[in-house]
Amino acid sequence: MDQHHHSQLFKVGNAQVSRFEDMRLITGNGKYSSDWNAPDQLHACFLRSDRAHARIVSINYDKVSQVKGVVGVYIGADAQAAGYLRSASFLPPTGKGGMKARVPARPCLAIGKVRFVGDPVAMVIAESHLAAQDACELIDVVYEDLPAIVDPEEALKPGAPQLHDDVPGNCPVEAECGNEAATMEAIAKAAHVTKITVDCTRVTASPMEPRAALIEYKAESDSYVVHTPSQGVNMTRKQFATYSNLGEEKFRVEIQDVGGGFGQRSTVYPEYVSMMMAAKALQRPIKWVSTRTECFLTDTHGRANLITATLALDKNAQFTGMRIDWITDQGAYLSPTGPAGHIRNATTCMNGVYKIPALYGHFKVALTSTGWVAAYRGAGRPDIAYAIERAVDAAALELKMDPADLRRRNYVPLNEYPYKSATGSTIEIADLPGLSAKALSLADWPGFEARRAASAKKGKLRGIGMSAVIEPTGAGTYPRDEIEVSVGADGIVTLHTVSHSQGQGHETSFAMVTANALGIPAERVKVRQGDADRSVTMIGNHSGGSRTMVGAGTVCHIAANKLIDAGKSLAAEDLGVEPSQVNYSKGEFSSPHSKQKVTLAQVAAKKKLSVVGEGTFTSTYPNGCHITEVEIDPETGVTDIASYLSVDDCGHIVSHTIVEGQMHGAVVQGLGQVFGEHIVYDKDTGQMITGSFSDYIMPRAGQLKSIQMEEYTTLSKLGPLGIKGMGESGCTASLPALVNAVCNALGVRHLDMPLTPSKVWATIQQTKAQQAKH
Amino acid sequence: MHTFSYVKAKSLKEAGDMLAAHADAKLLAGGMTLIPTMKARLAQPSHLIDIAGIAELSGIDVKNGRLTIGAATRHVEVAKSAVVKKAIPTLAYLASQIGDPQVRNRGTIGGSLANNDPAADYPSAALSLNATIVTNKREIAADDFFQGIFTTALGAGEMIVKIVFPIPAKAAYEKFPHPASGFAMAGSFVSQDGKAVRVAITGAGPGVFRWKDAEAALGKKLAAASVENLNVDATDLNEDMHGTKEYRANLAKVMTKRAVAKLAGTAATSKSSGK
Repeated sequence: MDQHHHSQLFKVGNAQVSRFEDMRLITGNGKYSSDWNAPDQLHACFLRSDRAHARIVSINYDKVSQVKGVVGVYIGADAQAAGYLRSASFLPPTGKGGMKARVPARPCLAIGKVRFVGDPVAMVIAESHLAAQDACELIDVVYEDLPAIVDPEEALKPGAPQLHDDVPGNCPVEAECGNEAATMEAIAKAAHVTKITVDCTRVTASPMEPRAALIEYKAESDSYVVHTPSQGVNMTRKQFATYSNLGEEKFRVEIQDVGGGFGQRSTVYPEYVSMMMAAKALQRPIKWVSTRTECFLTDTHGRANLITATLALDKNAQFTGMRIDWITDQGAYLSPTGPAGHIRNATTCMNGVYKIPALYGHFKVALTSTGWVAAYRGAGRPDIAYAIERAVDAAALELKMDPADLRRRNYVPLNEYPYKSATGSTIEIADLPGLSAKALSLADWPGFEARRAASAKKGKLRGIGMSAVIEPTGAGTYPRDEIEVSVGADGIVTLHTVSHSQGQGHETSFAMVTANALGIPAERVKVRQGDADRSVTMIGNHSGGSRTMVGAGTVCHIAANKLIDAGKSLAAEDLGVEPSQVNYSKGEFSSPHSKQKVTLAQVAAKKKLSVVGEGTFTSTYPNGCHITEVEIDPETGVTDIASYLSVDDCGHIVSHTIVEGQMHGAVVQGLGQVFGEHIVYDKDTGQMITGSFSDYIMPRAGQLKSIQMEEYTTLSKLGPLGIKGMGESGCTASLPALVNAVCNALGVRHLDMPLTPSKVWATIQQTKAQQAKH
Repeated sequence: MHTFSYVKAKSLKEAGDMLAAHADAKLLAGGMTLIPTMKARLAQPSHLIDIAGIAELSGIDVKNGRLTIGAATRHVEVAKSAVVKKAIPTLAYLASQIGDPQVRNRGTIGGSLANNDPAADYPSAALSLNATIVTNKREIAADDFFQGIFTTALGAGEMIVKIVFPIPAKAAYEKFPHPASGFAMAGSFVSQDGKAVRVAITGAGPGVFRWKDAEAALGKKLAAASVENLNVDATDLNEDMHGTKEYRANLAKVMTKRAVAKLAGTAATSKSSGK
């Protein structure tokens, strides 16, 4: 497939481009955060709350001095003295009807109260990690237990236990979008109304690299050097600055490789800020590497949204309005990306891929005594798509319609793009009628009943499910993205970026874009990220929201062209002509007025050849249609994925290898949530039940044996390359496609994730019992 | 991990003496359960007595219709052993299905039986095959050895030396792996020797147990249909977020049916490949 579709735009020799970074990464030569060490470093260990909600009566750490090598203990009082009390929050200041958002404090070490199992209470600093661990066990904390509250709906009810004095009702903010009156009128006048509540379950990202940090204090400049997994150095610096009330210039962030982000690495966590206190007080670097248990308990979780969709249809099965009521569980504190992304992204694409004249969304943010929640691959995009696509399938079931036909009747047609949605967004370009027709044909949608019958003969329940989705990607929070490009005397082109790869392969894709613009082999372009000095001087977004190829990737093209212009001026002197008379091709400057040629390397050897390109971008809209068939073993409830087809519109594709990798990963990440991944807390105690991989069900390699991936492209005009950001869209499409298929196989209207074998089996038993009654 | 003393025992006697000398000592064979428990700071042994290198604990051989496996034999060795594959091929298959390659390369049969994890694979084989657990002090019949969750008949200072399996006419093992841990959510080991059929269920309950109703029915006719109308009593089975008692009872039955179907067609053990 790759060869068939391979773009002529990019070639590296004759080979299909595999990623330049892969040899380094797969041979163990990556440098991750825990690989950074400093001479004279000390080790941190955190004593964490073992209960969900309690008042701290006292903390006695007299006994820690019994452990050799302990040099310091820090508690909430130290956080208070330092003023490290509030993590950054990107939540807009006002919500529904001008309601002022109430962002709770998040001291870096708990002050007065703990609010979830894992809340850091004390930090021990010692000469070794082992000594710090031993000492933590000797700290005596007296708690006065308060009731745990893990259900967001319960947390929002009057009389619920209050987590924060300054957040009444455990509700930091309510928000709304669209037109309530018009939507309610559409629902009232509808020929048919479908109402469905879906739990977009709480999950955790589980990147291979655990959280870690090495924090160094530089006395001469009263500043800090930070090494920690990050999705972009600028966002990390900004959050450190906000948490510690210092200027961003006080932080230099130096990173090489990051082993998975998924939104979970976009947060500056309280542990890192706690370590700043010790680094400064003790004048020694502080190192910490979290355990996997700490990852489960304290890394930000994802999703955790309870969504009710009320879809109104007229007698022709045209959608006339939809109301979305959304409760987002944010855990005990608001993370920086917290509910803001969920609300913004869901608002932008609340119509999905459909013409829906009236829309209204109502969001309630809830705090519970659980781990905090942040952006997670899609951050609200998969959630809203899941609610809409489940509602559409439920409507089709109720109306006894083919779900593909119901969708076809309601797609926004190509000629109505750019489409202005009823929530106020302008969606650039997509062609769902054309794209989904291709998908339905490739999947042989009409032939499904024959395949269902064949499965039934084997005693298996077969189901088919589709999803049609779109989402906003690419918009950033910084004023522009910059790429510095320079040429060495050896002709090697070096790029510098502050957008950080967490595995996406920027060293390859950025090199390909640059090499194409310069007409040189991509091997001659080296990509540098996470440079400490440039983290202070360069501007650009972090890698999140599927934005990096749209932004920094496109700027590689812009910067390369700027470099050619700069080179022409320098080459003109050598060639003895005017700059306007200089041509550039494949690494060489020439002129019809000169017999000479000079190479990029020759120009760079004489004079500094370096430019900074920049660009500012808003949203692109990747979209797609995924169709999957499942076969269920009714004896065990095990779901086998019989086929999975994706047809996606990612705009122009720079590297098919990387896009396929992103799509595979995203589809499987959705599959993980559908079939197993679920963070569960005990309702009474607030203890996490799924705190290890013995209980947290990760997807396995064999679960999805192959994906048939196809393209259907419309180009974005946002940038010169036509790229649409696509790092998350596979996840957005796979959640509803897979759940739709399982519901179809079981003949049920809805089943909440995770669709574990035991849940599927229990559903089959219930259906059998109901059928026996009738 | 807390600090501890590591000692390497050179003989069975030396290991026994060390165990007697230190009340809080633990034997270390493969360490596949003990080491993670220590890393989680849930176990604090004063001493780890490494028994992996003791000659008396190793070796696989067949004599007089019995297969003997040394306690320190690693899962990978059982899985790949030509002797085991010939004598009781299903036992080799079972070993090949334990955990992952890393676990199979370290974990031992004695460690698995002594730990008696309710979801472990080996206890079902030992119980179904009516094995004898030979310790440094006595011989224990499998029927007496397993005493519920993480509990065995092993006394203080007692260690498993070897396991003696009578070679059955036929045997088969089927397990349903837990979707998260991969341990048996329910596993059924069915063996037949003459008229006697023994069915041992692991994973579903607080410990391995025999499903005697199925044994009686299969003793009359060795066919999956024989257990179709039977049900595992769900009363004392495990229940958690991953499955109800009823689901586990169902899995125990389905795995038994599948194991029986697998062995029903095979004439002799040497042909009843587990695969």
